[in-house]
Amino acid sequence: MMINSLFQTPLLAEGSNIALATFGLYTLAVFVLAALSNRLLSKRSFLSEYFLGSRGLGVWAFALTFAATSASGGSFTGFPSKIYSHGWVLGLWIGSYMVVPICAMGLLGKRINQVARLSGAITVPDILRDRYNNAAFGILSVGLIVFFMSFNLVAQFKAGTLILQTLLQDVTYFHDAAALLSPTTSSIGWFDGVTPEYLLCLFAFGAAVIVYTTYGGFHAVVWTDVMQGVVMVVGVLFMLPLAIYLCGGLNKATDTMAKMTPPTPTVANVSIGNPANKRLTNGDWILWTDSAGSDRLFKVIDVKAAAVGDELVKDIQLLEIETDSDRERVLKEESKKIRRDVSLEEVRPEPYASGAESKGSYVTGPGPHRTKSDGFLPLSLAFSFFFMWAISGAGQPSSMVRLMAFKNSTTLRRAIFTVAIYYSAIYFPLVIIFCCSRVLMPGMDLESDRIMPAMAVYLTSKIGAGWLAGLLIAAPFAAVMSTVDSFLLMISSALVRDIYQRNINPDANEKTIKLACYAVTLLVGTAAMLGAVNPPEFLQDIIVYVGSGLAACFLGPIVYSLYWPRSNFQGAIGGMLGGFSAHFGMYVAGAIMNDSFFDPYRLFNFDPIIVGLFASFVIGFVITLLTPPPPRAIVEKYFARRPNQSEA
Amino acid sequence: MNNPDKEKPIDYDPIFLNSRREAIVIFTIWLVCLVWAVPYCYYFGYVGSFDSANFSTFLGIPSWLFWGIALPWLLADIVTTWFCFCYMQDDDVGVADDELPLKSDATSESGEDA
Repeated sequence: MMINSLFQTPLLAEGSNIALATFGLYTLAVFVLAALSNRLLSKRSFLSEYFLGSRGLGVWAFALTFAATSASGGSFTGFPSKIYSHGWVLGLWIGSYMVVPICAMGLLGKRINQVARLSGAITVPDILRDRYNNAAFGILSVGLIVFFMSFNLVAQFKAGTLILQTLLQDVTYFHDAAALLSPTTSSIGWFDGVTPEYLLCLFAFGAAVIVYTTYGGFHAVVWTDVMQGVVMVVGVLFMLPLAIYLCGGLNKATDTMAKMTPPTPTVANVSIGNPANKRLTNGDWILWTDSAGSDRLFKVIDVKAAAVGDELVKDIQLLEIETDSDRERVLKEESKKIRRDVSLEEVRPEPYASGAESKGSYVTGPGPHRTKSDGFLPLSLAFSFFFMWAISGAGQPSSMVRLMAFKNSTTLRRAIFTVAIYYSAIYFPLVIIFCCSRVLMPGMDLESDRIMPAMAVYLTSKIGAGWLAGLLIAAPFAAVMSTVDSFLLMISSALVRDIYQRNINPDANEKTIKLACYAVTLLVGTAAMLGAVNPPEFLQDIIVYVGSGLAACFLGPIVYSLYWPRSNFQGAIGGMLGGFSAHFGMYVAGAIMNDSFFDPYRLFNFDPIIVGLFASFVIGFVITLLTPPPPRAIVEKYFARRPNQSEA
Repeated sequence: MNNPDKEKPIDYDPIFLNSRREAIVIFTIWLVCLVWAVPYCYYFGYVGSFDSANFSTFLGIPSWLFWGIALPWLLADIVTTWFCFCYMQDDDVGVADDELPLKSDATSESGEDA
């Protein structure tokens, strides 16, 4: 839902060719990196190299793969959309990113890396299984990782596909290729309701990611992450001064926002004066004088089935602009798109539940909201998000794997510093850029999911460099790609290492393991790609559910395993299942009470992640104390000083 | 028969002790940021009825957000720098079995990335 509409409106007329070139260069570069990575596979222990890069990541590789994997597509699609929709309060929403690097990398980093080396672990389930000497725990961990990440993989495939579709939408060759594909797809039931453009992008995106991940393994993923991380920060740092400059300075932008009131979503019947000449289309503006003599400005959002020749189109979705500065900008900059030959009937406004008709809502908390009367970010949610980004970020298995892969403590220290600077250069600047977009591009409230590409085109066209837009839009594409490849490898490693090698065939030789790795990565990727042919609607909601669910399951047991010698497998399993159940329970309660699984019940108005983590830690703690301590040999292996170690 | 080793208190691994101490410091840093940022922003940034005369900005950012988030963000970066380069210990995390060179390629390169 968050980025479904990315491709609906032509945006990239000027940047389309460079967009195609960008994708071509990307694909070429990742294949080269995969080939280089594959050469390393023959020189080192295959499994350790394929899934963990032989524990040899240096500062830049470790820092940028960590940052790029954590960023995901949401940072460049959902986040800008939220800034545009709710204003400066997003600075508070994202505020805990000031400590995310030190928390997500420093809380567990050194210790999980050491324990992974002590046990020879390659995956997160490996660590849990070995630390607690319990095979069932390993299998339970694998089950949860596969469960959560499969959903997320499908969602991320869809996100990547939609962004690629945006990149290519004005490329003639792309539409020609889609037209060629059309007869084939229309004859297959599985593809019902799916456009050939979407399918083409899905297969191109999917094939590129699956092939380079399968062939190159962890090192290919890391090196492409480095490249993608650079693209992201360059994109942001290019847009920032441009956005501020075009607003006439940040002071002016904020002053303008302070005078804004949210626009009013409206449904109306539209009577077209001269339908034979000009049909009404999405993105048109309507300037209409009502019966009281007031001039009112509307943007056409969804014209549905209006056709040339229609005189009256019923139930059109419109957006009425309420702010004077927005009206002036639209009348000045969009004059060619303004329709004065239409009139409205049965106008039915649907004002915002919070912030309507009140100035200042975009520069103060809790921010305007279309449906929630307590606004976008009430106090309880502000606390939840400060908790979520920093603490639950440490509980993501995909991050933990990276923490197992750095070379030494010096690398970790320098990488935390690097990521802190990197995030500072990305997240707060994004808030500034898309607050400016609120001033520069009025009327995108109902289609804010595509504000990132729209802003890229707007900024570059204003300085006469429209060709740069393709490069800027590459940033979200890079973010999705770096997340997809990591998740793909996580699932594959869970199945090959934790299920096949450790439970089914412990004596498998390296050739068999190698074949299994390639085959499983290929199969999982292909399955996820096919799942994304008819993907679930709630893209962003799935990403949130999976991220918080994984943290609720894994953070407690991992923290106990690393820092509490008394911790035993009963407590850790109890904590994992307790966290899963409490978190899942909030969503099930939401499905019952709010008629939507993705509108969870919020106990005391807190996000389910808080409930899940609280349950996981408390249940794990209580069960541990009620059950016997772990064998002394296990405690000594992971907690006792080794003979050659000096004092702390 | 009792094994005397079993009764001996464990002499803890210094990496475990250092990591745990560093984790406590990190958690404290997070807590300080939380206790400052959210209440400050709520107190100064969540106004019931907006009065433009009382609304102020600093460097173009709403004042409540600048003092509540932007400046603490800068300070957090400084604290992170101190933590990384002055406080965190350079512990030896050890060597895993799979890091040892393969017999067939004992002379190959070390395998570190940039």
